[in-house]
Amino acid sequence: MDAFLNSLASGLIVGSLYAIMAMGLTILYGVSHVFNFAHGHVAVVAAYLVWFAAVRLGLALPVGVAAALLVMVVLALATYWGAIRGLLRRSEWGFGTLLFTLGLAILAEYALLELFGPRVKSVPAVLPGSVRLWFGRLALNDLFLITASVVLMVLVGAFLKRTLTGQAMRAVAQSLPGAQVVGIDIDRIYGATFIFAFVMTGLSGVLLGTKTYMTPHIGWEWMIKGFVIVAFGGLGSVPGAIVAAFLLGVVEALVTLYLGAIWIWPAWLVTFIVALWLRPQGILGGRST
Amino acid sequence: MRGAGRRLMPLLRPRNLVLASVGALLVAWPYLGADRFVLHVAALTFVWAVVASYWNLTNGFAGITSLGNMGFFAIGAYTSAVLAKELDLTPWATMPVGALATMALVTVLVGLPVLRLRGIYIALLTLAFADALPSVITIFRAWTGGGIGLLGIPELLEDLEKWQAYYFALAFFAVAQAALVLVVRGAPGLAFVALRDSEPFAQALGVDRFKEGLRVFAISAFFTGFAGALYAHLLGQISPAMLGIEQFLMVISMWMLGGAGTLLGPVLGAAIITFGNEYLRVAGSLRLGLLGLAIVITVLFFPGGIMQLVGRARGFLTRPRRGGSDPDTVDGAALPVGSGSETGEGR
Repeated sequence: MDAFLNSLASGLIVGSLYAIMAMGLTILYGVSHVFNFAHGHVAVVAAYLVWFAAVRLGLALPVGVAAALLVMVVLALATYWGAIRGLLRRSEWGFGTLLFTLGLAILAEYALLELFGPRVKSVPAVLPGSVRLWFGRLALNDLFLITASVVLMVLVGAFLKRTLTGQAMRAVAQSLPGAQVVGIDIDRIYGATFIFAFVMTGLSGVLLGTKTYMTPHIGWEWMIKGFVIVAFGGLGSVPGAIVAAFLLGVVEALVTLYLGAIWIWPAWLVTFIVALWLRPQGILGGRST
Repeated sequence: MRGAGRRLMPLLRPRNLVLASVGALLVAWPYLGADRFVLHVAALTFVWAVVASYWNLTNGFAGITSLGNMGFFAIGAYTSAVLAKELDLTPWATMPVGALATMALVTVLVGLPVLRLRGIYIALLTLAFADALPSVITIFRAWTGGGIGLLGIPELLEDLEKWQAYYFALAFFAVAQAALVLVVRGAPGLAFVALRDSEPFAQALGVDRFKEGLRVFAISAFFTGFAGALYAHLLGQISPAMLGIEQFLMVISMWMLGGAGTLLGPVLGAAIITFGNEYLRVAGSLRLGLLGLAIVITVLFFPGGIMQLVGRARGFLTRPRRGGSDPDTVDGAALPVGSGSETGEGR
């Protein structure tokens, strides 16, 4: 029973990190219909930057995070205005953006490999130490992670509902022509969405980097996990992604406990296929486009 | 044989003459003093050309954004290799079995659930499918050798020589390309052109996207699985590394750099990338960077790939045609890549 509770807790923690990770991807898709195949690499790049600032340069963690997020903003603007904007004007934009972000991901992987080498690294824990609970020990950093994730989710919800930019993003997600009719500048909103997505994804990478390890190649794994969550929850749906992330986090932890870690991927795939059979639009997805 | 003369005349067009002489050169190559290394790489090129061409069939022609074709390749390779090794069968029997098993598995496990969906969902599920396979290979490590790979797979012949391997691969390539032309120019190809041009109209005429998609998917899986099986018996060893991201990107860039939606593009791309990869082995991880750069530049600046450049060069050489374009040039003028119509919303 203790082992079960323990892995349930770990599933919830990992699930909350996956939820943060999937949020940038699902909002980017919901608003711009661009599927970012470099998603995992955005997260890894941010995590590496924080590692570099905190471990190599010895800066305080918040300073490192702030610097990394600033880089994310620049990268987001460069990606949108430099490339994606032009690609979206083509007839085969869906496939064009897919391949472009795929190429970008390889470039990022190669850059990380050249700059930081192939060795495994991880971001230092925000809160060292652990507390005793009735079913076992819980690292303080894990408690921090789950708190930070919940706070971030609430903040994202508030941003989308209360701020003008957030409302405009939702309007574009609902109807592109409708948003244009009421005078929303699509380019500005797409740019804002890219910034939002890159910053969220970068943050999730930093959080994941404290929980697990990172290598220049791990971006692919993070990317695919993000994809499954987002597709499972319904592309473009934020609540769907959160539910799916927790569900898959718990499934992953229980599968690891009872069957072994090697079954994680087959389990994800089976869950995914069953979910698509039952609800092709995802758990909470509305539109099927 | 009505209109045999009219059918023969187009065969003598310049493009076909060029293709015929290239084919003759390929057949004669081992006698023209190609060394064993070059023949080996050429044999691999033929295998990859088939994989890239059939990947292009689903993605470039049919608009099915599959990202799982390396999974089909691995299923064919492992099925045939394990059967040949464990049951002591000849590769000539196990290769077709591997291809048929790939077709059945892929059609049932991936095709049926996926092809009712559109665009990005297909991409995601096929990618997740291919990504789950290394775990499956590890789970059945008693037969598959797990992460280390499967060694000592029976070769096509005892003491297979490189020139023999070359001819086997060339023959397979020729058959696969002929089949591909039949599919693209035949009923499934026409169905997808119709669906791309106007889906409601095509459906009114009785074209069923799901059924046609499933058919193309099955054909693609069969030949990709066969290519995998041939690869296993040509090399004598396979490992889950074939499902790695690098191999995936290399094959994807073959048909993309060559020209998506063309017949010749993926073959050219396969030749460039396979030979480039072998001769750049010393460059190590730089190859990865070059691959990424090539993909990004292709997408941004010449989305039609090499075939687009060829088309432009031909435009310079020949007088610009007035009026509509020649409907026969499926290669040359790149067809739009499929997924453009997936959302139906104007942009």
